Amino acid sequence: MTHGGVTRRQFLAGAAATVGAIAGARPAQAKGSVTAAMYPGTWEEAFRAHVVPALKSAYDVELEMTPLFAVDQIAKAQAARGAPPFDAFVLDPGPRVTAIDRGLFEKFDAKRLRNVGRLPAGMTDDWGVTVAAQVVGIGYNPKKLPRPKSWTDLLKDPWVSRLGMTGFQTTYGTVSIIEIAKQYGGSETNVEPFFVEIKKVLSKVSAIGAPASMPALFQQGQCDITYTNTQTVATLRGRGVDIDFVKPESGAVAFFTTMHVAKGSKELDNAYKYFDTVISAPVQTALMQPPNNFIPVNRDVKLAGDLPMASLDEMAKFVRHDWSKINPLRAAWIERFNKEVAK
Amino acid sequence: MRGLRPAEWQLALPLALAYAAFFLVPLLLLIAVSAFDDETLTTAGFAQWRKFLGDPFTWKVIVDTVKLGGLTVAATALIGYPVALVYLGASARWQRVILFVVILPLLTSVVVRTFAWIVILGREGVINQTVLWLGLAPAPLRLLQTEHGLVLALTQIEMPLLLLPLLSVMSRLDPNLRDASAGLGASKWRTLFRVTLPLSLPGLVAGCMLVFASSTTAFISQFVIGGNRLVYLPLLIWQQSLVVYNWPLASAAALTLLVSVGVGVAAIAALGRRTRAEAF
Repeated sequence: MTHGGVTRRQFLAGAAATVGAIAGARPAQAKGSVTAAMYPGTWEEAFRAHVVPALKSAYDVELEMTPLFAVDQIAKAQAARGAPPFDAFVLDPGPRVTAIDRGLFEKFDAKRLRNVGRLPAGMTDDWGVTVAAQVVGIGYNPKKLPRPKSWTDLLKDPWVSRLGMTGFQTTYGTVSIIEIAKQYGGSETNVEPFFVEIKKVLSKVSAIGAPASMPALFQQGQCDITYTNTQTVATLRGRGVDIDFVKPESGAVAFFTTMHVAKGSKELDNAYKYFDTVISAPVQTALMQPPNNFIPVNRDVKLAGDLPMASLDEMAKFVRHDWSKINPLRAAWIERFNKEVAK
Repeated sequence: MRGLRPAEWQLALPLALAYAAFFLVPLLLLIAVSAFDDETLTTAGFAQWRKFLGDPFTWKVIVDTVKLGGLTVAATALIGYPVALVYLGASARWQRVILFVVILPLLTSVVVRTFAWIVILGREGVINQTVLWLGLAPAPLRLLQTEHGLVLALTQIEMPLLLLPLLSVMSRLDPNLRDASAGLGASKWRTLFRVTLPLSLPGLVAGCMLVFASSTTAFISQFVIGGNRLVYLPLLIWQQSLVVYNWPLASAAALTLLVSVGVGVAAIAALGRRTRAEAF
């Protein structure tokens, strides 16, 4: 029997060769591998360029990445129930607390990291290690608007009619709204003043968008001011967009991105080697350069000039939040935001 | 399985098994998850359903979602049907060109098409620049994050789903029937409404059902173009499942969406049957 001139024997031989080639392409030569969940986009590209080769040359370990946002990592790990689809998490503070509550991490031993001494105090705990910082403040177009000074300027003319906002779905959105609420008498656990104030100006607000669409909305001039992090500002600037970062008078907000070992991971050693590589000075320096624009956590890294601080220790003065208090309230805030801003 | 020889239903078995494994089982899981009171799935109960359906906001969102589907169906049908008539009258060569143009948007990812609409509908976008240049408005119009802007974008995004079934039915219409209608003295309009439209109705109905189901569930387009100002059921599902991890509530919202879309699709099918019955 032939199909288009190929005999069954030829077909089987070809199929066997194909399967063999695929199997042979697996990284069998390396000492091992570790599978890490990774934020898609900037993070994944930067890690592919800098962490993958560094881990390979330092420890002969292959890094395989599964692109997942923080919330998706939690959802996947929880659905997998003890057989994690990846060995290492990368998380923002809100999802980190959720994952601790739901028992998704192995206990963490900071002593297993060679570079741990190069991190400022408090960058490791029983659950994981900080690998990058994020600083949140105001991003605005200096060609179209005067420079804003404080969080409350966002809700005043002329800024409010050019304001682009997101809700409580992201970490940066949540902390920014908390900071706005604080200026009007609210607190970390009381964002009611924000809702009172936003109601007065809601019809003027230029865009209330999906978090993923905010850079596009800014680039297209749909909004000219928004709360955002330094990384987004630097990335947009790299694309030629007119955008400046402003530290609000009450202080910029800092939060940390952390890495953790997934409960039930079989690659503990390699996971620690991976973390150690990420926090090493050469990798941290490379990640800080454009187009990656990370904020480093290793003291040996000489900070880039456009970062909103001169040294890592200065970040201790930035505004921080307690996510174990925020998480239980977030569902109600999201619901409230939907109801207040939906037409 | 009356009238089917074993070999025939055996052929359908792989797909049937795939449906059972990847649609029926997850659906049952969804129903099961929605029947828990708490986020960690320990206490069974219907508290989340009561909370979800007891909230007037939910009902507003359901109505808005179905309305969005209805508006998109109306817009695609209104614009798409004349295109199908042009196709009907075109030569075989032009029919191929029209078909290619219709399929063209499907070759680009929906994410890309959606972000392109930000560029078109934005404050400094193509439409607003034209409007300002022509002096039709003193300031840029607000098109993004409005229902009409979203319907406009969805009309383009969903158009192939309407046209493909419609064109396939149209291409099988017997041209002699139209000639006979004309020969018997019917005007062009009369032929359109009494002959062509009733005969092409199955294709139009199939297209409308696809557009309705696809536009009511188009999370990316709804969220990127509508933003947080326009809240539809898919946004609620995403928030509950992936931001606050309340899976029972997310399941309740997902099942509500499933039922809403099902009712809408059934209504379109019933309307199609009735119109067809009246026409003949």
